[in-house]
Order: sequence, then C-alpha cells, then structure tokens
Amino acid sequence: MSLILGIESSCDETAAALVTADRRILAHRVAGQESAHRPFGGVVPEIAARAHVEILPSLIEEVLAEANIPLGQVDAIAATAGPGLIGGVMVGLMTAKGLSLSANKPLVAVNHLEGHALSPMLTDPDLAFPYLLLLVSGGHCQLLFVEGVGRYRRLATTIDDAAGEAFDKSAKLLGLGFPGGPAVEKTAQEGDSRAVPLPRPLVGTAEPHFSFAGLKSAVLRARESGRYTVPDIAASFQKAVVDCLIDRTKRALMHAAGATALVVAGGVAANQAVRGALQQLAASHDLPFVAPPLWLCTDNAAMIAWAGALRFEAGLVDDLDVAARARWPLDPHAEKARGAGVKA
Amino acid sequence: MLLVIDSATEACSVALLDEDRIVAERHEIVGRGHAERLIPMIAELTGGMKPDAIFVDCGPGSFTGIRVGLAAAQGLAIGWSVPVHGYSSLALIAAGNFAQGEADQLTVALHGGHGQLFVETYAREPFRVLEPLQSLFPAEAAAAPAHLVAGSGAETLVAARGHGEAVTAYPRAADARLLPTALRVLPPRPLYGRAPDAKPKM
Repeated sequence: MSLILGIESSCDETAAALVTADRRILAHRVAGQESAHRPFGGVVPEIAARAHVEILPSLIEEVLAEANIPLGQVDAIAATAGPGLIGGVMVGLMTAKGLSLSANKPLVAVNHLEGHALSPMLTDPDLAFPYLLLLVSGGHCQLLFVEGVGRYRRLATTIDDAAGEAFDKSAKLLGLGFPGGPAVEKTAQEGDSRAVPLPRPLVGTAEPHFSFAGLKSAVLRARESGRYTVPDIAASFQKAVVDCLIDRTKRALMHAAGATALVVAGGVAANQAVRGALQQLAASHDLPFVAPPLWLCTDNAAMIAWAGALRFEAGLVDDLDVAARARWPLDPHAEKARGAGVKA
Repeated sequence: MLLVIDSATEACSVALLDEDRIVAERHEIVGRGHAERLIPMIAELTGGMKPDAIFVDCGPGSFTGIRVGLAAAQGLAIGWSVPVHGYSSLALIAAGNFAQGEADQLTVALHGGHGQLFVETYAREPFRVLEPLQSLFPAEAAAAPAHLVAGSGAETLVAARGHGEAVTAYPRAADARLLPTALRVLPPRPLYGRAPDAKPKM
C-alpha cells in the first residue's frame, strides 16, 4: 500500500505528514506561526516564507522519526505547489524536489484546494464520489462538485473576500485580535445575533457566487455607530455569514444532481455555527453531512499526503521542473466570476 | 565529492567539486525561474551520484532565490543523509574576483531591494572582511573604499561614486573551491541582509 510523505507551506502553517493510501496517518506535524504574524494583524507573506524555510527540514525529520520510517520506504513525495503565498509554496515544493531527487522517489505536485477537497475521504471511508463540497477558509470560499480525483466542477466562488478573510477582518475591526475566526466565534456566544441589522450580500440572487466585502464594511459602520456591543456585532456578523453560506449552498445543491453527500472543508468549517447550519441543510435534503475532524479542516500536510496518495495511485506524478503557482484553479473550465478578489 | 548550489541572485549555478578541482558545473544567468531550473540542473550534474556534502549560497541576494537554494539543499541533504553548509554570496564573488586579478581590496555590490545595494569590502591576504555587510542606497554606498567593485550592482556603485573599476559579476558555484574553509561552513540559514518590509501595527 503506497506510503506518501506530504508537505504543506502555502500560508502560515508549516506541516509534514506520512499517510498511506489505505487511510493510515502514521505521523503528522503542524507548526503554526501565529505569534510571528500577530504584531502585524494578519499573515505577512515574507515573514511566513522566512519561517517555513527555518522550520520545515526539522519537521520532516521529526515526522519520519516519529513513524520510524526511513525515507527509502516512502513511495512518493507530495507537496503543495499552489495556490497560496508563493514564497512559502516555493519552500515546500523545493524541499520536496530535493527529497525526490536524492531519495529517487516520484514527486507529486498537489493543488492545495484538492487537498482540502479530498480530505473528507481520508477520515470517512464511506464517502463516495460525487459529492458537493463547500470549501471555506481564509483564502477560499468555493462550492465544488467533486466527481473524482482531478475532476472538479466549480459551481461558485467568492467575488471579493473569502469567508475566513471576513472573519479575520471583522475581528480586527472589533479589536478581537488574530486569527479572527475563533475570536469571533467565542465573543459571539455572549451576543444576540438579531441585535445588529447586517446585509447578506448576494443572498437570493440568481448568480451562484459569494460576497463578503460589504458585510465587513457594515461591521465597521456598526462598530463606529457606537450603538451596539462587540458581542452583539460578532454574533450578528457570524449569523450573516452562516446565512450567506447556507443560501448559496442550497442553490448549489440544485445543480449537484447525484451528489452522495454534502461535505464541508477548510478552516471556517471549524466554526460550530457554520457546521450546525450545514448539518441541518443536509438533513433537509436527505443527504449525509460529512465534516472532517477540526485538525483536518485547517491547513495540514496529512491532506496533502492523502491527495498525493490518490494521485500517485492514479499514475499522476510530476517532473522536477514543475512550477509553484500563486494561482491555480481546481476547475480550469469554470467561468470567470466578476470581481477582483478571486484567488482560484 | 562536494555539491555547490547557488540560486541567491540572477545566476542559477551548480558545481561538483573534488577538493579544489571542478568536476562539472552548470552556470546560467536566468534572472528568474530558479525554482524550475535548479533541481533538473543538479540531476544532470550528479547523474545519480551522491555527494559527500552540500554547500549552498545563503545570501544576501533575492529573498526568494536564497530560500529556493536552501530548501533544495535541505531536501537533498535529508535524502542523501549528508551535511549542508552555507556561504555568503558576497564572499563568493570576492573570492572569484581575487582569483582573476591582482587587487588587494575589493568591494562587492549586489542589487538588493528598493534600489539599495548589498555592499561589503574584502581584503585579499589574508582573505577577510574589511567593511561588514550593509544595505545602502548607491549614494551612501559611494563611500566604499576599494577601487575595484564587483557584483551585479558594481556599475551602479561606481557610477554613483564617480571613480573606480566595475566588474559585473554573479556568484558562480564553482568558485566555492576558492573560499577559505571557515567561510564555507556557515550554518545553513538565510543571510537576508535586510528585514522584511512589513511594520508591526500594534
């Protein structure tokens, strides 16, 4: 059974993992960089890249040591080749190329989004293609019809901010710190989600996409008005995001005939309000709801190793001149969405 | 057998050394695209052979280029189970240029970020740093003492200073054989020469 070493470095988590094609996670490590970025109120690409190159080599050796597996027993090296912060992606990909050449093992260049998209199958052996995936993180907000390995139909994407970006920016506006997702969720528990009237951009419209920039601006205005408490704004903001996600996902379900499940992945899937609402939506459509464990929702290398395993077994390996890509759409045939903030 | 990897500047340069002898080398001025070229160049060079150690340019130079070389070196080192050592791009250019002429002193100037130059001055005998690394605007760099200036920013410095001789040069991996041992066994960590641009907000 193939054994894959996975490497992830596309944002502010440095990660390495060893995963088999029969779903065994032999070791996985994630080194976050939150404290390095906190003084800047967000992820600084150059600081992230500097941290990746310092941390990654020892992380890889730790993972191999923890699993007690020499590199020679690994069948392939998988690394995120994009999309993401290009300086960080290059560190992971170059390290992987070096490993690939010296250990004489094939290289698998993995799309980070494919890592998220296939991650639910790593922990749920019953999940089968095709499924509808809401991929919702700090860098992405997409609805994907997942038909098979390497076969993705993008049904919707954000025309401006990603949902996780809206959480981070709103947290900053509310003085809740970085990263914003957990901070907003915690503060929202003490607030009234009906207290602040906030917009639900694009909800009910015929176009399939997401938009969160206007919501963030409304949070700023609510804050500056002085009429609302921070917990009430946080709770109302979170409810507005959930309403947007649910409305758009409900619309996508109409275009996802044959889907065997509704699946969520990405860092925002760690939010309990988002999870709960999606679970209800799935139930109302008689579909199983699948959400990977929280550690697998945020960026990690196990999902990269797993996607690498599926690609390797399908014969999809890459040459050593493969390029790192800041932008890399999973569905190259998707229609261009309006707006400038489309990252993939 | 030693493998030398240099991708810190516009050059993408690799060499195989046997003590002080060049066994093979590839030296291309690529400007960009090191991440795609580097490993295939090393594969051609080594042809399946495993070196005893790796030497890598740690900078200063392009932030991304430094990391491309270091990350590749670290990955190779894990797979081959061999040590990685670092050297400075400026020291390498100094050693290479001393070997080609008679000058007693040499200032190295490399293009850095925001119109600045990475500047460092070396003495030939014994090979040592006379004036330590600084990131300077060309007008400030004009105070550099050596008549001879080498590097990608040599002409810029000499033009700003109004006198001296400029030799445009990029780090050549094979020149690592000319470095004193102490200067090619630095820890394999980046020498950025300049802090990131971002400033703390709080």
